[in-house]
Amino acid sequence: MAVATSTDITPERPLPPRGTHRRRWGIALVLSLAALWSVSGLNISFNRLVTAPGEAWTVLQQMVPPAFGKVYERGAVGKIFESVYIAWIGTLIGAILSLPLAFLAANNVSPRWIRAPIRQFFNAVRAVPELILAVIFIPITGLGPWAGALAIGVHSIGTLGKWATESIESIDSGPIEAVQATGGQWVNSMRWAVIPQVMSTITSYWLFRFEINVRASAVLGMIGAGGVGSELVSHLIFRDFPAASAVLILTVVVVLTIDTVSAKVRRRIIVGSVSDMDSSRSSEALADLTGLRR
Amino acid sequence: MTTSASAWPTRPQIRVRTYGITLALVAFTVFAARKVGFSPSTFWEVWSNPLWEKFWPIPWEWVLDGDNVIKPLIETFQIAVLSTIVGCSLALPISFAMSPLTTPNQPTYLVSRAVMNVVRAVPDLFWAKLLVTAIGIGAFAGTWALSVFSLAIMVKLFSETIDNADSGPLEAARAAGGRHTPVVRTGVFPGVFPAYVSYALYVFELNIRASVVLGLVGAGGIGRVLEAQRQFFKFDRILGILVLIFVVVWVVDHVSVALRKRLV
Repeated sequence: MAVATSTDITPERPLPPRGTHRRRWGIALVLSLAALWSVSGLNISFNRLVTAPGEAWTVLQQMVPPAFGKVYERGAVGKIFESVYIAWIGTLIGAILSLPLAFLAANNVSPRWIRAPIRQFFNAVRAVPELILAVIFIPITGLGPWAGALAIGVHSIGTLGKWATESIESIDSGPIEAVQATGGQWVNSMRWAVIPQVMSTITSYWLFRFEINVRASAVLGMIGAGGVGSELVSHLIFRDFPAASAVLILTVVVVLTIDTVSAKVRRRIIVGSVSDMDSSRSSEALADLTGLRR
Repeated sequence: MTTSASAWPTRPQIRVRTYGITLALVAFTVFAARKVGFSPSTFWEVWSNPLWEKFWPIPWEWVLDGDNVIKPLIETFQIAVLSTIVGCSLALPISFAMSPLTTPNQPTYLVSRAVMNVVRAVPDLFWAKLLVTAIGIGAFAGTWALSVFSLAIMVKLFSETIDNADSGPLEAARAAGGRHTPVVRTGVFPGVFPAYVSYALYVFELNIRASVVLGLVGAGGIGRVLEAQRQFFKFDRILGILVLIFVVVWVVDHVSVALRKRLV
C-alpha cells in the first residue's frame, strides 16, 4: 500500500532563490523602458510599423528575377574583383605593418614600457570602423580603390596585431632559452625561436582577415572607396531592383566561395590544431561579418 | 682526441610547388596593387598631403552644441538599443528551431538554417541601403536593417551553444512525458540562458559600432551628420565627431565587458 500513499503526498517544489522574481521584473522593466525610450526617440509610429513590411515585400517581389545579363554587361564582375583586390592589398598592408608591432607588444618577448603604448594603439585602431577611416582617407587620396585599401589596411593592423600578439604570448619558451643559452641576441631568438613557432598560426590569421576584408571592401564601395558597393548603390538609386539583386547575388557567391577556399587553405596550414581554432574564432568571425569588429 | 665536425642537420629541400605558389602569390599581389593604384610612394603622398592640416583644431563649441552632434548621437544609441532588443528577442525561438537538439521538426530546422545563412551572407550596410530604398530614408530603415543583422548573428552564436548543451536534462524531461515546448523550456533553456545574455551584450556592442556608420547610406543616426560635413569638406568637425563616437564606443564596450564578466 506504500505505492498508493505515496501518490497522496504532493511533492513540494523547491523554492526559487530569494530575490529572483524581483530581479527578473526589474530587468524586464529596464528593457521595456529602454525600448519605449528608443521607439519614441526614433519617431517610429504604429502606422509606419504596419505599412513598412508591405513596402519591403513589394520591393522584394520586384527583385525577382535578377537581371544577370544587364549587370554583366555593365562590368559588375570586374567591380567584384576590384573589391577582392582591395581586400588583398589592404590585408597585406595590415599584415606587414602589424607583424613587427606584435613582437613588441607580446609580454614574453618585450619589456613593459614599449608593450603598453602599442597595445593601446591596437585597441584604438580597432575601435574605428573601416568606413569611418575611409571617410577620412577619401579627401586625402581621392575617390577610388586606394582609399578603400588604405582604410582596410589601417583597420586590419588592430585585429591582426592583437591576434599575432596573443599567439606569440602562447608559445613554448624553451626554444627562446635555448637560443639565449647559445649566446643569441634578442633578434636571433625572435628569428629562430619565436617565428618558427607562430608563423603558421599568424599566416592563417592573415587569411582569415582577408575573408573578412572582402566583405568590408564590398561595403566600402558604397561611399566611393572602390569596389562593388558603388554598383549596388547606383542600381538602387534608379530603383533598378532586378539589377541590384543580381549584383547582390553575385557578391554573395564570390564572398562565400572565397570563404570556403580560404578556410580549406587555413586548415592545410595548421593541420591538427585547426578544429579548436575555428571554434574559438567563430564568434569573432561573425562579429567581423559586420565589418565593424573592434 | 678527434674532434669530429658536428653534423649539421640537412636543410629541408624546397619543393618546386612552393616556388610555384610563391610566384603565383607575388604575381597576384603585383596585379592587384596595379589595379588598386598602390605603390610604396603613395604612402608618402598620403602622409605629406597638406589637407591633413584641415583636420585641426577641433571646433569644440560646434561639436558640443546640443543639436549638432549630441542629438544624432543619442539617436544612434537608440537605434542600437532597439535593434538589439528586437533582434535578440526574435533570435530566441529561432535559435531553438535551428539546433538539431531542440528543433520541433526537420523541415523547420532546414528552412530556418537556410534562410539565416543567406541573411548573414549579406553585409549589414547592404541591408541598410536596401531597406532605405524600400521603406524610405531615416532611422526606421536603419533600425530594421540592424535588427535583421543582429538576429542573424545572434541565432548563429546561440544555436551553436544549444548544439553543445547537455542533453541529459532534455532526455529526462522527455522521458517524463513532457510536450516539446515545456521540455525545451525546462530541460535546455536554464543551461544556456547565461550564454544568451552574454551574446546579447556582445551584439549590442556590435550594433553600437554598426549604427554609427548607418547614416552614411541614409539610415539615420550620427553617420548622417558625418556624411553632411564630409560633403562640405568640414574636416575639423569630422574629427570632432569621431572623437565623440570613440568615447561612446569605448564607454559602452567597457560597461558591457564588465557585465559579461559578472555573468560568466
